[in-house]
Amino acid sequence: MIETITPAVCGNRRRRRIAVALFGLAAILAAALVGAALGALGAALGARQAVIAVAVLAGLAAASELGFLRLPLPQLRLQVPDWWRFQLPLPVWAAGYGAGLGVGVLTYQPFATFWIACVAAVTVASPGAAAACFALYGAGRTLMVAWPARGGRDAPLAVEGLVSRRPALARANGLVLAATALALGLAAVPAAAAQPIYLGGGNQLDPSVSSGTLAYTQRDGTVAGVVLRPSGSHDVTYTGRTPSLDGNVLAYAAADGIHVVRWRSREELQRAPNASMPALDWPWLAYRIDTWDGARELWLTNLASGDLRLLTRVGAGLDLGRASVAAGRVAWTVSGVQGSRIGLYTIETEKRRIFVRSKISVLANPALSDSRILWVEQKRGFSYLRLRPLESSRTTTLASSGDRDLVFWTTALSGRDAYVTVWLVSSGVAQLERYRF
Amino acid sequence: MRRPDEVVDGAAEALAAGLARGHTRRSFLGRVGVTLLAVMGGSAVAAAVRPDEAESFHFCGHIWTTGSCPNPYSLPRIDRRGFPLRPRDGRPIDNLGRLVDAEGYPADETGARLAGPDGELLERGPRTRLCEDWVPEQFRIDAVTQGSWYRCCSGQVRKLVDCCSTSTKRVNGDKALRGYCYTGRRVFCVMYYDTGLPC
Repeated sequence: MIETITPAVCGNRRRRRIAVALFGLAAILAAALVGAALGALGAALGARQAVIAVAVLAGLAAASELGFLRLPLPQLRLQVPDWWRFQLPLPVWAAGYGAGLGVGVLTYQPFATFWIACVAAVTVASPGAAAACFALYGAGRTLMVAWPARGGRDAPLAVEGLVSRRPALARANGLVLAATALALGLAAVPAAAAQPIYLGGGNQLDPSVSSGTLAYTQRDGTVAGVVLRPSGSHDVTYTGRTPSLDGNVLAYAAADGIHVVRWRSREELQRAPNASMPALDWPWLAYRIDTWDGARELWLTNLASGDLRLLTRVGAGLDLGRASVAAGRVAWTVSGVQGSRIGLYTIETEKRRIFVRSKISVLANPALSDSRILWVEQKRGFSYLRLRPLESSRTTTLASSGDRDLVFWTTALSGRDAYVTVWLVSSGVAQLERYRF
Repeated sequence: MRRPDEVVDGAAEALAAGLARGHTRRSFLGRVGVTLLAVMGGSAVAAAVRPDEAESFHFCGHIWTTGSCPNPYSLPRIDRRGFPLRPRDGRPIDNLGRLVDAEGYPADETGARLAGPDGELLERGPRTRLCEDWVPEQFRIDAVTQGSWYRCCSGQVRKLVDCCSTSTKRVNGDKALRGYCYTGRRVFCVMYYDTGLPC
């Protein structure tokens, strides 16, 4: 193309500049359209989580460019029609060539990078963003027409110069692809894949999972109920909220306090009047009591033996969040204007400690499993889902939201599945998501 | 005799004062930037960096390079005790950037308390000082509010405040300057307080 758009072919230098401009405009527009189409395809497919696929393909392409691997590239072994420039007016053929090369798929494609960009554009799943990225491809093709022959430099010599640098370009391209694969791979590893849980209309929150059964609060307007979804069986519902499930025993809060029931038979085992926010790990039940003087207390009771312990008490002005009980430990959160903290209590040793604290973040909604703790951290306008082994200081971020309108709320932990309520603040909608880690 | 850096600082201060008297530097630069981005990259990019949200180490009255202290939005507007305010209108916000009422509870624009997805009213979140609380936790260094100076911004006196630390690095990641800090401290980041006094 460098040898086509020359003053000699175009007629003079002014007409060449017009041809380059039209070529560039068409190339950028065509490339942007391709990007938009791929981005729209990704949005339709919900392909946002395919980052790891792009990383793998980029790694393969890097190996190919660096000569470690031979991979056939999908391409049309065609060139732009030569006769256009003899039979069509300059504005038409210049723009036509630009569009043809800007689209990228209609001609030779000697480097794998273009196809990696195509897959990445699908993964971006945003037509606007993908179009903006692909416009750069069109700009690059324009640059390769305009730059080597700048200032009247000899076009054939410029082409020869470029060809002589092809091995170095291929190596550089391979290294960039390898770096891309590495960066995408690293970015994809710590993040867990979000799996929305479709539970119908209304709002679902406060997940609790045990033995394959999911329990949650179903809220429709001002009416709240507890729903249990056992696998392979019909839903079971109770009038109440904030369920906590352990096998076939369910604890939930109702207007008159906490009920502990065998949820399949509806046999009531215990009731804790004036209590709220139950956390059950049979036979241990933790719950909150709001006292007459505005204080809030966290109690732990053994439903089998009657053992009763006061774990913590906070004064008015502080919030005592819902606890979680698992494997002989209890976790809870306290927050106020001075900061927030997660407390951890070991039932056997009766020792308490502050697991994590912050003066600037809200730490909330902890969930325990045998060996891990999950919680939500809100900082500035961001919301994070954090996970940490109980015997380690290494925290993993399972998910994050940079949108002030999308806030993580209550959590649950079951094996290697993390559950979280995702709250859209502006609409008030709450839904459950699962992250496998 | 004034040191060379003081001469430069003095000239910069004079320029700053001139700029501040004329218009709001932040919004001016913000609008120029947005216009440029809109031309180059389209509204999607431009929308992401509106003047109110733009990460910027320049705001009215401050033309030096030390960056903003961490804060709920991106402009470090504080009240006279160092707690965060919403940059747009100076209303008190908590550390999450939510408007709060007089008792510190999250509230909407009308002052009514906000409710969570469970229908219960939201509890108070942390509201702590940008310099003394945010900086030590986020950067693991000591920090204290020290020197300040004044400029005229949008028709009112603006107090610009240095958050000072014994750290030799500043928030930008490079070498910290002494600025208006004392007792061996250097400027780690900057904040501002709009006094409401006309100028």
